[in-house]
Amino acid sequence: MSVVKAKRQNPHFRLDLYEPEADLMVLNFGPQHPSTHGVFRMQLHLDGEKIVKAVPDLGYLHRGVEKLCERLTYVQITPIVDKNDYVSPMHNEQAINMAFEKLLGIEVPRRARYLRTIFAELQRMASHLLWLGTFALDLGGAIGGGASVFLHCFRERELILDLFEEVTGARFHYNTHTIGGNRHDITPGWAQSVKSALAVIESRIPEYESITLSNGIFFERTKGIGVLDGELALELGITGPILRASGVDHDLRRDAPYHAYDEIEVKVASAEGGDCWARSVVRLAELRESLRIVRALVDAVPEGPICGYKPIKLVGQVKIPSGQVYSAMESSRGELGTYVIAGGGEGNVSPYRLKIRPPSFHALSALPYLLPGHMVADAVVILGSLDPIMGEVDR
Amino acid sequence: MSGLLHGLLYGLPIITVVLTVTALGLWFERKFAARIQSRKGPTMVGPAGILQPLADVVKMLQKEQLTPASADRVLFELAPILCGAFAVATAAVVPFSPTVVAADLDIGVLYVLAVNALVLIPVWMGGWSSNNKFALIGAMRAVAQSVSYSVPMVLSALVPVILAGSMSLSDIVRYQAEHHWFALWPTIPGLPAFVLFFLSSLAEANRIPFDIPEAESELIAGITTEYTGMKFGLFYMAEYIHTVIASAVASVLFLGGWDGPFYPGLHWMVLKTLLLFASIYWVRWSLLRFRSDQLMTLCWKWLVPASLLLVMAAALFVKVGGGH
Amino acid sequence: MAIEDNRSFTHPLYDFMLTVPGLSLATGRVDQLLTWGLTNSLWIFPMATSCCGIEFMATAASRVDIDRMGSIVRGTPRQADVMVVAGTITVKMAPRVKKLWDLMPEPKWCLAMGSCAISGDFYRDLYPTVPGIDTFLPVDVYVPGCPPNPEALMAGMLRLQEKVRLQREGKWAPKESRPETAKMIMPALRRINDPARDPSVDKAQLDSAMKVAGSEPLEEAPTPERMPPRSAEPVPIDGDLQALLTAHGVTEIPRDAPPLVPVARHRDLAEQLKKRGFRQLVTVVATHYPDKRDKAGLILTPEYYEVAYALRTVGRGSQLVMWRVRFEVPDGIDSLYGVFAGADWQEREQFDLIGVRFAGHPDLRRILLPHDYAGFPLRRDHASDAPCAPWR
Repeated sequence: MSVVKAKRQNPHFRLDLYEPEADLMVLNFGPQHPSTHGVFRMQLHLDGEKIVKAVPDLGYLHRGVEKLCERLTYVQITPIVDKNDYVSPMHNEQAINMAFEKLLGIEVPRRARYLRTIFAELQRMASHLLWLGTFALDLGGAIGGGASVFLHCFRERELILDLFEEVTGARFHYNTHTIGGNRHDITPGWAQSVKSALAVIESRIPEYESITLSNGIFFERTKGIGVLDGELALELGITGPILRASGVDHDLRRDAPYHAYDEIEVKVASAEGGDCWARSVVRLAELRESLRIVRALVDAVPEGPICGYKPIKLVGQVKIPSGQVYSAMESSRGELGTYVIAGGGEGNVSPYRLKIRPPSFHALSALPYLLPGHMVADAVVILGSLDPIMGEVDR
Repeated sequence: MSGLLHGLLYGLPIITVVLTVTALGLWFERKFAARIQSRKGPTMVGPAGILQPLADVVKMLQKEQLTPASADRVLFELAPILCGAFAVATAAVVPFSPTVVAADLDIGVLYVLAVNALVLIPVWMGGWSSNNKFALIGAMRAVAQSVSYSVPMVLSALVPVILAGSMSLSDIVRYQAEHHWFALWPTIPGLPAFVLFFLSSLAEANRIPFDIPEAESELIAGITTEYTGMKFGLFYMAEYIHTVIASAVASVLFLGGWDGPFYPGLHWMVLKTLLLFASIYWVRWSLLRFRSDQLMTLCWKWLVPASLLLVMAAALFVKVGGGH
Repeated sequence: MAIEDNRSFTHPLYDFMLTVPGLSLATGRVDQLLTWGLTNSLWIFPMATSCCGIEFMATAASRVDIDRMGSIVRGTPRQADVMVVAGTITVKMAPRVKKLWDLMPEPKWCLAMGSCAISGDFYRDLYPTVPGIDTFLPVDVYVPGCPPNPEALMAGMLRLQEKVRLQREGKWAPKESRPETAKMIMPALRRINDPARDPSVDKAQLDSAMKVAGSEPLEEAPTPERMPPRSAEPVPIDGDLQALLTAHGVTEIPRDAPPLVPVARHRDLAEQLKKRGFRQLVTVVATHYPDKRDKAGLILTPEYYEVAYALRTVGRGSQLVMWRVRFEVPDGIDSLYGVFAGADWQEREQFDLIGVRFAGHPDLRRILLPHDYAGFPLRRDHASDAPCAPWR
């Protein structure tokens, strides 16, 4: 496998240096638009239907989460960060608690690590299913074949949400992780429900593939569109399926194991091409891989405690006087990192500064490089293939 | 005078039937799509939600009619009316049975093709006058697409004309009733010409996979982005009427129109039309969408040469195989 | 709408028809038909911004299927009847929401889905969020939850149907006011349906919406002298990372924090690290430390910034290296844009939130906050509930 090479555009390209006789049109794309995956705005400078320059504009969902975290105690932060990447809340909770555990130097019990791994992989499946649905919507429209794929994906996503609901009581925004482990243990018949849900999903993956990957129109629309240079992707800090689609074999689950990933082999899916097609291939392969991991782990969950820290009774109970820590995990979109500087608040109960490193923010920063030269219709496809979640981009 | 009387006598019922079929088609599409997507679709109004299109129309009639301040007012108001009118106008020459036809023109095929192409004008008017960039891009795409796809459509419609030796739609059906349906025999060029004609009329009616002028994922609602209430309703209905008529014309030209055993002709005609209509929705709700330049490539590089070959094959068949 | 006499609209012709004996029965029937059509075809314009948007999608999906009640989702406000506001509305987004609401044709309704749209939830007193959309939109139905289940949203839509029906029949009674509880439940900012609301707030919001309507272009930064960096060839890592750090002026490597690098050497260090295989710019974190004063008000330690950078190697056994740079507030720091293209957005974000100036950055302007926002919110001396007009 080789790293994808592509010509690098200048993102700060000056429009007055473009052909002087060209009559450019400015198209405002978003913040409210069916295909911007939330509230994202792009200013597209068009020559006919060809994009000359794209100027992204973020912040329409900037809710001040990092500032809020400086005000709250370590215990109170978990349910807040759930809302960042609202398509995979489990990953947010895990990432933030991993950082706090690293600061405190707490060992998570083996059972909790297994449960975290299973939750993370189920959430990855749910997230990729949602991505597939919305990507098909971008390609096929809300009134058309895209809607059919979308609704089928949602049907299977509901199965996973049901599993989470059984354990945590919530469809999303679970608040099930805590410092040192998990808050809710799995119910007795849960493993069996997981296996039957996985069987249904597995039987339907070929259905999705037949309507997407093996569909001629899908191929025509995605192949060679939005080719991302592998080196550029690294410099931009792009991680996850997008980086792997650009030919860089990198996955924190395998390369810097956490949870129980050191006990199970993760086959890292990657593809060559760096285009929307490769990103789709990688994500669908990850869907299958997550399915395999969950199936392997769900029967092997060891007995034992689910939390390695004393029970939390007060919101101000966790006190960390000093220290700076960066901890990262592989969310469905890539490296979800947390940088915590301890020692804030009255009696060191809050972080002094907390920065969340969202993979989608980095993915979006590739847009000014990817869009020029493509058509408006491709802009939607490229944006969809990056799978941004504005909640974590803007925070 | 008798012509006018005849027109009124048959025209009004035909328009009524077409509108009713369109409304039913709307309902049918929503239920059909819902079934494809493992949903139920409308269930709350009437049995199985069959009155849903009626409720939509009643709602749209009550909505405020907005004209954007920067719109070209006259064109903006005129466009949906013309769009609806041109869509219905095509129905005038379609023979639903040997007797039920509003105007049995000698040049029916020409008329159908011409009026079909006219729909382009209100679409462009609407897109241009809205003064909205999404509508403008949609209209530009619609014009490019319709003009391009008119060529293979006209050429493939020539195949039955050559085979039957007449430009009257009724004559074409009569010829097929006496001899054979053109979609079945001569298989070349009949069947490919049928498929081609059907594809091109889908493209003319802006249906998926050719619905790029109103690609919601890119252009929000394309040409109708700024239209409210019944003005949007007219565009919406015109699209469905267009689809119904395209199915009817395709069944007249290639599937023998009213020809069929046991039952009166009208039944057969409606059955064939509905079958084609349903197949359009089958395609629509299971395929993704092409990009505009890919559509142009498909049209000019594949469909136009293919349709030219088919016209030649038809002429050859008539000359060698002894047609009329 | 004149709803006092059980009628949904007035028109001279309609009034005349009502006086004709026998016709009133017919008009009554017509009125019923109109109401029937209106309630059974509530098309939705989804103002979906965040988490609730996903549950909204789930409501439209197969399990709950909002199409059962004839509601379809339209992407353009021009063709919709109900605006479902699903998710947090920020100060930057609110004028757009108001604009889109104004684009919708009458009759129209608004449904606030989720606690963020209703009250701002736990973001309600933070600097960038609007404490509930009913501070600038008239909301008809509130669906609480974080996020509400799809079933709850469907129930909310059915409640809206009922409300419309009752309104058209003139039966809708506004909620009784209870003065004894008014103080308890009264929000800090008067809601739009509140008669005691200050009209100047309306005007300020409207002005703000109009400003957006002009759609000022995003200002363009001057062309950078430096082009984006060229790709580097991968170089294998050698183990003497510590020697490299020491060579760049690191005196000690603390146990619980990344090492401090002198501000003059940090760009050079980044270049060296990139050559050694740390090709991924993981993150840039700036922190603000306000000055420390003694009791007399004398400055003990001046105000300073710390910027932490993290780089990573890729592939098996991925290594992470971090370093910090400390400098006093008025100064700047060399941008890493010439080394890593990703520094463009990441440093811009830190400039936006903390106010650190990066020398040599090609495009240093706000990225998340509105371009006319005053101050840098993540500085320690910036109040988390700093007001942002006109919402607070």
